Amino acid sequence: MNTVDFLNLLVSALLLAGVYAAMSVGMTVIYGVMKIVNLAHAGFLMLGAYFVFEVNERLHLDPLLGVLLAFPVFYFIGITLHWLMVRRIPRSDQPTLSSLLLLFGLWLVLQNLGYMIWGNSDRAILTPRTFSTMQIGPIIFPTVRLVVFGAAVFSLAALEFVLHKTWFGRAVRVLMQNPDAGRIVGVNVDRTARIAFGVGIAFAGTAGGMLAMMYSFTPDFGGSFMLRAFVIIVLGGLESFSGVAIGAVILALVETFSILVIPSGYQPAVAFSLLVVALVVLPNGVAGLWNKRQRWA
Amino acid sequence: MANTSVYGLRKEKWSLLSLVLIGAAVLVPTGRGKAAPSGDEIRIGVVLPITGSEAKAGQYQREGIELAIKQINDSGGILVKEKGKKLPVKEIFYDDGSDQAKSAGLVERTMTTDDVVAVLGGYSTALGEAESVMPDRYQTPWISPGAGAAHIYSRGYQYVFGTLSPIDSLGYTTAEFLGTLVDQGKLKKNLGIALALENTDHGIEYGAGVERWTKDHPGYLHVVFSEKFELHGTDYSGLLLKVKNSKADIFLADAHLPDYITMERQYIQSGMYHQMISYGARGPDADARKALGDATNYIFAGLWWSKKLPYPQVKKFVAEYQAFTGHEPDSYYPAPAYDAMRALAAAIEKAGKLDKTAIRDALRNVELKDSLLPGQVLRFGKNGQLNVPFVIVQNKPDDKADIVYPKDAANGEAVAPRPQK
Repeated sequence: MNTVDFLNLLVSALLLAGVYAAMSVGMTVIYGVMKIVNLAHAGFLMLGAYFVFEVNERLHLDPLLGVLLAFPVFYFIGITLHWLMVRRIPRSDQPTLSSLLLLFGLWLVLQNLGYMIWGNSDRAILTPRTFSTMQIGPIIFPTVRLVVFGAAVFSLAALEFVLHKTWFGRAVRVLMQNPDAGRIVGVNVDRTARIAFGVGIAFAGTAGGMLAMMYSFTPDFGGSFMLRAFVIIVLGGLESFSGVAIGAVILALVETFSILVIPSGYQPAVAFSLLVVALVVLPNGVAGLWNKRQRWA
Repeated sequence: MANTSVYGLRKEKWSLLSLVLIGAAVLVPTGRGKAAPSGDEIRIGVVLPITGSEAKAGQYQREGIELAIKQINDSGGILVKEKGKKLPVKEIFYDDGSDQAKSAGLVERTMTTDDVVAVLGGYSTALGEAESVMPDRYQTPWISPGAGAAHIYSRGYQYVFGTLSPIDSLGYTTAEFLGTLVDQGKLKKNLGIALALENTDHGIEYGAGVERWTKDHPGYLHVVFSEKFELHGTDYSGLLLKVKNSKADIFLADAHLPDYITMERQYIQSGMYHQMISYGARGPDADARKALGDATNYIFAGLWWSKKLPYPQVKKFVAEYQAFTGHEPDSYYPAPAYDAMRALAAAIEKAGKLDKTAIRDALRNVELKDSLLPGQVLRFGKNGQLNVPFVIVQNKPDDKADIVYPKDAANGEAVAPRPQK
């Protein structure tokens, strides 16, 4: 492999990391605050994809505008679902069986709802941007992936800003670190959890919209992405947003470059081997390793 | 506090509620369940995916079967000599949700509890493979209209039949078509082929078919690269880089529809070019043409059937299918299913009774001389699988797709090599 091929592959891996980070943020927000593993995440990715598809087909709006619109729409859906179902789940500082089952059931309901509304055809969004590329020297950047990468970086940066510079962000962080202490200092736990769930679903919906610009989809869409999101949040540390970015980069690099030495048919095995290794060697993820180093320093 | 919510409901109740929710979601699409006991009717079990990843193909196949059943019943049913009269066909349908375990379980269920004389089912090799262990166990004929992998039919099963020609033949015919382009001088001799194969038996057999032809015809084409890939992949840049570095002249992939769309998009973005491109049996699919637009032009595919076959029965079927379903048969899926049901009806009539073993024996000798499939004659091989020719279809601009091979079925000229933009 020559240098140009290596650089093209590296760019592909980094852009793929953007896709992976975008789809994992929502899951991390919800887990961090509520200790709920959102097994319905794939369902919201799928709904986000169809939302942007419909906005493009019916209103003839640019898919990127659809992605922006998806955020408030899915925030509202998240808040409503929280009010209807999630707030009734018994509180716990660990994921509970009831929350897992409820959200898994919700995923199945969303899938079947998708089949009822849109049928089983493969849908995709085709715009002039779909095949366009930017070229810097011999390095090729597919425009859509570049846009998704930018959106992922913006999402993570905005989230970091909100977490560190706003009252809501501080409330979220205290609930992630020590919920009891949060209650003592006057954090409104229910309100913070409701908003966090809404934000998590909003991120899932927008991520689904972004994925729709790259992949075809059916109501079955999202499952393989959700499995990768698990790998990423375990790699990054279950409650760390910067860890999501690191986890996404690691997974994308390993998946992309491993193909050079092993057949691409084993790509999923690589991802899940990474999950096993992370759970055994880095149970708190890369973020945990970083925190430990800082303590030693 | 940890075990109760603010509404005072205990965890166990929520677990129970959640289980009910899951149960409802899983059970809703399953199908009609057990029908009333049979009287004067012939019960046929049908197990196909109407939901899940194979839903679209399953839906088309179900429509093909139901059209055949409607036509049979409109003509009074199937004559059963033992009963001295014609009996209508009753379909007992189940949706397997594209799930292998569920698929096998539903075939077992319909064979054991629904009083069926035969079962039609198994779209996709994976689902067909799961179902194929049941027919001999329950001595009930099973015809798959959608499982083409030859190994399903090579295990010595006695009650297993299939109306898709072997995948190996798809690969073989694909290479044979390229060979004719060499003979015509459209392609040069001894071009290199890169194979990217889905990591399933389907992909493996396709690749074997291509390699078999190249070995049978030395000097025409040769395989310079072959690798399997996982279905529903998120990124094919590494695989495509390997294909590019192999310096192949022809790119042949065997892929499902979502992978075809994702891979072709990345192929275009990476600026690659090959003289000919195929994605196995994918090519003229309407969904792919919507998703890829002009990028699908000149891609060719090997198909089990095309609505453009120049047979009068195909024209009649296309019109009747459109009237029955409200849409065109824009893929090959419904035709093998329609013929599977007609072959079964012919076998029941030939057997003259509703005995499953007698129907199995009749299926072995059944011959449909007005088959929709290429060659126009449906006759099962000794292993139970049909083996009729494939047709090669090439996409052309303006959403057109011509049959370009074999010559006696062609309605357009093959464009080779593909124009380079």
